Amino acid sequence: MVRFARAYVQLPTGVVGALILVGVAALALSAPLFIHPSDLSVSKASGPLLHPPLDGYPLGTDQPGRSVLDLVIWGARPSLTIGLIATALTVLVGSSIGLMAGHYEGFVSRSLMHVTDWFIALPSLPLAICLAAVLGQGAVSITIAIAITSWTGTARLVRAQALAVEARPFIERAKALGASDRQIMLRHVLPNVAPLILVSSTLTIASAILSATTLTFLGLGDPTDVSWGTMLNQAFGQGAVTGGAWWYLLPPGLAILVVVLGFTMVGRAVEQILNPKMENRR
Amino acid sequence: MSSVEVIGQAGPDPAGPPERGPAARSDLPSYLAKKVAAAVVSFFMVLVIGFVIFSLMPSNPVAAITRGRRTSTEQQQFLHEQFGLDKPWWEQFGDFVWRTLHGDLGYSWGYQDSVSSLVLSRLGPTLLLMGAATLISVVLGLWLGIRSGWRHGSLLDRLASGTALTLWSVPTFWLGLILLVLFASGGVGPIPSIFPAGNMSTPGSGSGFTPAHILDVAWHLFLPCLTMVAVIFGQYVTIMRSSIIDELGSPYLLTARAKGLRDDDVRRKHAVPNALLPSVTVIFLQLGTMVGGAITVETVFSWPGLGYLTFTALKIPDLPLLEGTFIVFSSTVIVFNLLADILYRFLDPRVRQQ
Amino acid sequence: MLKSDRGAAPRLRRGVAGVLGLAVVLASALLGSTAGTATAKDDEQSTLRVATATAVTTFNPFLSYYDGELNVIGNIYPSLMSLDQDGKPVPYLAESYETSEDNLTWTFKIRDGLKWSDGEPITAKDAAWTFNLIMSDPVAATANGSLVSNFKTVEAPDDTTLVITTKEPQANMLYVSIPISGIAIVPQHVWEGKVDSLKGYKNMEFPVVGYGPWILAGNVTNQYTTLKANKDFFMGAPKYDRLITQYFSNSDAAVAALQGGQLDQLGGVTATQFDTLQNAPNIKTYQQASDGWTAIEINSGAKTRSGKPIGTGNPILKDDTVRKAIALALNRQKLVDKVINGRGIVGAGYLPPGYPQFFWTPSEEESLSYNPDKANALLDEAGYTMGDNGIRVDPKTGKPLMFRFGIHSDDTGDAQIAPYVQEWLKAVGIGTKVEAMSFDQLNVNLSKGDWDMLMDGWSTGPDPTYLLSIQTCATLPLDDGSAGNTDSFYCNPEYDALFNKQITQFDQGERAETIKSMQEILYQANADIILYYKNGLSALRTDQVGGYLYGEPDSEGFYPLQNQFTNWRTAAPATGEDAAPASSQTGLWIGLGIAAVVVVALVGTVVLRRRATAGLRE
Repeated sequence: MVRFARAYVQLPTGVVGALILVGVAALALSAPLFIHPSDLSVSKASGPLLHPPLDGYPLGTDQPGRSVLDLVIWGARPSLTIGLIATALTVLVGSSIGLMAGHYEGFVSRSLMHVTDWFIALPSLPLAICLAAVLGQGAVSITIAIAITSWTGTARLVRAQALAVEARPFIERAKALGASDRQIMLRHVLPNVAPLILVSSTLTIASAILSATTLTFLGLGDPTDVSWGTMLNQAFGQGAVTGGAWWYLLPPGLAILVVVLGFTMVGRAVEQILNPKMENRR
Repeated sequence: MSSVEVIGQAGPDPAGPPERGPAARSDLPSYLAKKVAAAVVSFFMVLVIGFVIFSLMPSNPVAAITRGRRTSTEQQQFLHEQFGLDKPWWEQFGDFVWRTLHGDLGYSWGYQDSVSSLVLSRLGPTLLLMGAATLISVVLGLWLGIRSGWRHGSLLDRLASGTALTLWSVPTFWLGLILLVLFASGGVGPIPSIFPAGNMSTPGSGSGFTPAHILDVAWHLFLPCLTMVAVIFGQYVTIMRSSIIDELGSPYLLTARAKGLRDDDVRRKHAVPNALLPSVTVIFLQLGTMVGGAITVETVFSWPGLGYLTFTALKIPDLPLLEGTFIVFSSTVIVFNLLADILYRFLDPRVRQQ
Repeated sequence: MLKSDRGAAPRLRRGVAGVLGLAVVLASALLGSTAGTATAKDDEQSTLRVATATAVTTFNPFLSYYDGELNVIGNIYPSLMSLDQDGKPVPYLAESYETSEDNLTWTFKIRDGLKWSDGEPITAKDAAWTFNLIMSDPVAATANGSLVSNFKTVEAPDDTTLVITTKEPQANMLYVSIPISGIAIVPQHVWEGKVDSLKGYKNMEFPVVGYGPWILAGNVTNQYTTLKANKDFFMGAPKYDRLITQYFSNSDAAVAALQGGQLDQLGGVTATQFDTLQNAPNIKTYQQASDGWTAIEINSGAKTRSGKPIGTGNPILKDDTVRKAIALALNRQKLVDKVINGRGIVGAGYLPPGYPQFFWTPSEEESLSYNPDKANALLDEAGYTMGDNGIRVDPKTGKPLMFRFGIHSDDTGDAQIAPYVQEWLKAVGIGTKVEAMSFDQLNVNLSKGDWDMLMDGWSTGPDPTYLLSIQTCATLPLDDGSAGNTDSFYCNPEYDALFNKQITQFDQGERAETIKSMQEILYQANADIILYYKNGLSALRTDQVGGYLYGEPDSEGFYPLQNQFTNWRTAAPATGEDAAPASSQTGLWIGLGIAAVVVVALVGTVVLRRRATAGLRE
C-alpha cells in the first residue's frame, strides 16, 4: 500500500487528477454549507433574467434569475451521485458475471460469455435511450440504463483475469482442500482481480457521468433537478444558443469536462502502477 | 496480440476481435460460416431484447396518434380496435419477427408513416456525416498515433495524447453547442455567423451532383463533422500509438535498423504495416458503436439523419420508431463486428498462412 | 511472435486504400441520393422563404394535422369559406349561402368558372364527394372527422349548388371548411382512384393538382417544400413567384437562418430568442394575441360516463375549497414575467385572447388572483390543519395534502413552471411531487384517472367548439376505459346544457354570451387552472419582405392573429437591394476558406515534418 502510494505520487497526471477529484468532492459535499435552499429557489430568485456575469453573480444568471455559479456547484451532487451509483451497479453485475464465467467451466461459462457478447453487440447509447425512455424519466432509470449498457466491459476484463488466477497452483490446492465454488470465487479469485476492478471502475465512473449527462440532455432526466445535464437541456430548449448565453452553456460543460478528466487521469495512473507492462507505453 | 487499451472502458469492450481460439485456425469457409451464424444469433437476440423492452411499457398508441388533434370519441374507438393490442404476447412476438424480417418495422405514431421508409429516408445523411467524420478521424488519428508512438514521450506525443484525452472527456453535444454559439449564432462578440446553424442544405441550392449543391452540403457538414472528429479521433490515436509501441521492441525492427535502413523507412515499411493490423480491426469495431454518437451531434445540428430521428422519437415517445431505430443501430454494429472478424482473418498473416 | 511477414504490407495498404475509397464513393453517392425533387434554381424568380416548425410527411389532406403540412394544404386546396382579418368567415369557393327555416339545411352557391390546375372545372360535386368521403370512410375521417359528425347528408344537385343537411342545428357550419384549420376540398377526378389506398397515400406526385394561391411543386423530405404561385388565383395572385417552406427541427437554427438572411419569416420563437431578435438589424419582431393557453389540470374525481369512479386520484382534490386554494396560491403574473419574459397574458378564462369575441375575464370579486393568505385562511377554515413538516393534513382521513404533479418531460416550459408551482403550494401547506413523464405516459395516466395534477396546454382555431367539447360529460370514457376523450374528467350537466345551446345559436353575439357563461362555470370549478396565454412571437426580415402582415397593431403593439393563407399571398419582395444571397454566399466562402486553410496547414505540417525528420535521421 505504501509502495503504491509512493509510486502514485510520482505520476503527475495521477496527482493532478486526484487533486481535481478531492476538490470537486469537497465542493459538492460542503455545498449545503454556503448555498442556502433559497438560493436555488425559483420563486425567490432576485437576479435579472438570463443575464451575463454581473456584480453578485460571477457566472451570470439563468432564466429564473438564479446564480449560475450556485447551480453549477450544486449540480455536482446529482451528477456525481448518478456516476457513483451506476458504477457500483456496473461493477457488481460485471464482476459477478466475470467471476462466474471464469470459475465455472463448460455450459455456464459459455452461456455467460454468449450473453455478454450479445450485449456487447448492442450500441450502448441507443440501448440506454430505449431503456430510459421505457423505464420513465428520472435519475433512477438513467442509472439503471447505464448499468445495463456498461457491465459487459467489466465482465470481460474480470473473466480474463479470473481465468489467469484460476490456473494458478493455489486454486488447485484450495480445491483439493474441499473449498466450495463460492469460497474459491470470493476468497481466492476476487482479491486477485480486485485491483483490476478498481481501475476499470474509475474509468467507468468517467463514462457513466458522460452518459448520464448525455441522456439528461436528450430529455430523459428529471427536468426539475439541478444537475449539469439538466442545465444544458434547459439552455438548449430555451434558446440560449441564439441568445449567445455562453455563461449559461460553458460552466456546466466545463464542470463535466473537469470531473471526467479527473477520473480518467486517476484511473490511468492507478493502471500504470498496477500494470507495469503498460508503463513503458505512456 | 496484446490487449489494446482504449481510453475509457465503457461501452462495448474494444479489446480486439473476440475469441480467437481454435475457430480462427480452421479453414476459411467454416470460419465464415461460424461468424455469420453468430451474427445471425446476435441479430435474433437484438429482436428479443427490443421486443422485451418495448412490450414492458404501458402505452396508449391511440392517444399518441391523436396527439393534439380533434378526434371524436367514435374515432378513438375505431383506432383502438385497429391496433388489435389484445393479442397474446407470443403471437405479437411472432408477428414482430416476421414483419422485421420482411423489412417492415412498424408504423410511427408521431410521423404517421412506415418506420422503414422513415429510416431509409434518413439513412443517407447519417452515412454521409459518419463516413466523413470517420474518414477524417481515422486518417488524423492514425497519423498522429504513428508519430506519437514512434517517438513516445516527445512533445508531439504528449500534446496529442493530452488533446485526445481532454476531447474524449468533453460531452459531444456540449462541444457542438459551443461551436454553434461561436460560429453560427453571430451572438458572441465580433465573431460573425459563418456556418449554418443546422439542416443539411439551403433550399434552392440545386440538387444532385451540381457543384453548388455539393459545396452547400459541405458547408452545412463542416460543424457537425468537426464535432464528431474532435471527440472520436482520440481513440484512433491511442490505438495506433499502443500498437506502434508494441512493435518497437520487436526483433525484426532491430534487424531492419541493423541493416542500416533510415528511421523513416523502418517506420513506414516495417513498423506501421504490422501495427496497423490490430488497429484496423479495432477501427471496424468502433465504427459500429459510433452510430450512437450520431444521435447527439445530429440533435444539436438538426442534421436530418437517423440520430435526429431517434431524438424526435423520444418526445412522445414514438415507441415503434424508437424500436425501429434501435434495431437498425444494433444491426449496424453486428454487421461491422462481422466485417471486423472477416477483415482480421484476411489481414492476420498468422491466420492466413494456415 | 511471427510478425515479419513482408507480404502483409502491400496487401494491407491496398486494403486500407480500398476502405477509404469505398467511403469516398459512398459519401458522394449519398450526396446525390439525398437530393430530391427541388426545382432548378432560377434567378429570375422571386422567392419567399418561411420556416415551419413541424416536418412534412404527407400532403394528404385527409390524414394531415401538423401545422407544417396544414399551412401548405390550406394554400393548395380550396375550401368553402375563408377568414377575413378579424377571423370572420367570408366567401371563398362558396359565393354565398343560405339556411333553411329550421336551421338544418345549408345551401351553398359554388363559384362558377374556376378550374383545377389540370384544367378540369371545380364544381359542387367535388365538394360533395370530399365531405361524403370523410363521412363514410374512417380513414378519410382521420384528420377532420369530428367536423362532420353532425352532418346528415351532403349533396350537389348541380355544378354550382351544394346542400348540406345536419342532424342538429350547427352554428359553426361556416368554420367547417376554411383554409388550414378546416376541411380542404379535393378534385374528385384525381382522388377517386386513391380511396382504396388512402392510408398510405402521401400525395407527393408533383405538381399536385389543386386550386389555391399556390401550387405544390416539390418537396425534399425533412428539408423543404417548394410551391409555385398561381397567377390566376381569383382573390389576387401572390406577389412572389415561388414559396419555400423550410423545416427547422431546432429553433436556434431557424433564428440563425433568419439572421443570416436565408429566411424571410419565422414564427414560434422562444421569449429569449425574441428578445435577441428585437435588437437585430433589418428584423422586425411582432407579437400576436395568443390562440392557446398553458394550464394546470386538477383531478376533481375521475369517473366513467356511467358515473363509476376510476383511477387513483387523491380524493382530497374533490373538495372545491382545496382546488380554489391552489388557484389562489399561484402567482400567475410572476410566471408570465419570468418564464416567458412577460410575453403573454395572465390566465383566467378558458378561451384564449386571440379570439376577442369569445374572450372572457372574471370580475373583480370573482377573480382568483395571487393571494396566499386567503388560500391559507380557506384551508384553515376547512379544517386542514398544518402538520409538523409544513404539509397540511386532512382531518377526516389523517392523510397529508400531498399531490402528484405530472409534467411533460419534453416541454421546457413545463419544467420551468413546475418548481414555481411546487414552491408556492408549499407556502400554503400543500406538498407536490413533481413527476416528469413522456407525453404518452402522461396520457396513459390521464385516461386511467391515475393522476392528481397535470400540466396541460391547448390551442384552438377560430371556432372553439372542439376545445369546449372536451370538458363535457360525453367525452368521459366508457366503463371499459375506451372511447374517452376528456381533458380533465370535468363533468357538469349545467355546462353541458350550455354547450348544446351554443351549438344551435346562429346569432354570433348570443352564442358568444353563452360561451362566456360556460367559461365562468369552468373558472369557478378550478379543474383547469389557466396559468397564462403565451403571445405568438414571430420575426420578419424587413429588408427582404414587405406586406406580409395584415391588420393594425393594437395599443399594446399586438397584431391580430395572422393566417398563412393571407400572409403568404400578400407578402411582396421588399424594394431595394436584396442582400440575402450575397450574405449566404459570403458565409459559404468564409467557411470554405477556413477549411482550405486548415487543410493547407495540415499538409504543410506533414511535409515540413517529414523533411525535417528525414534530414535528422539520415
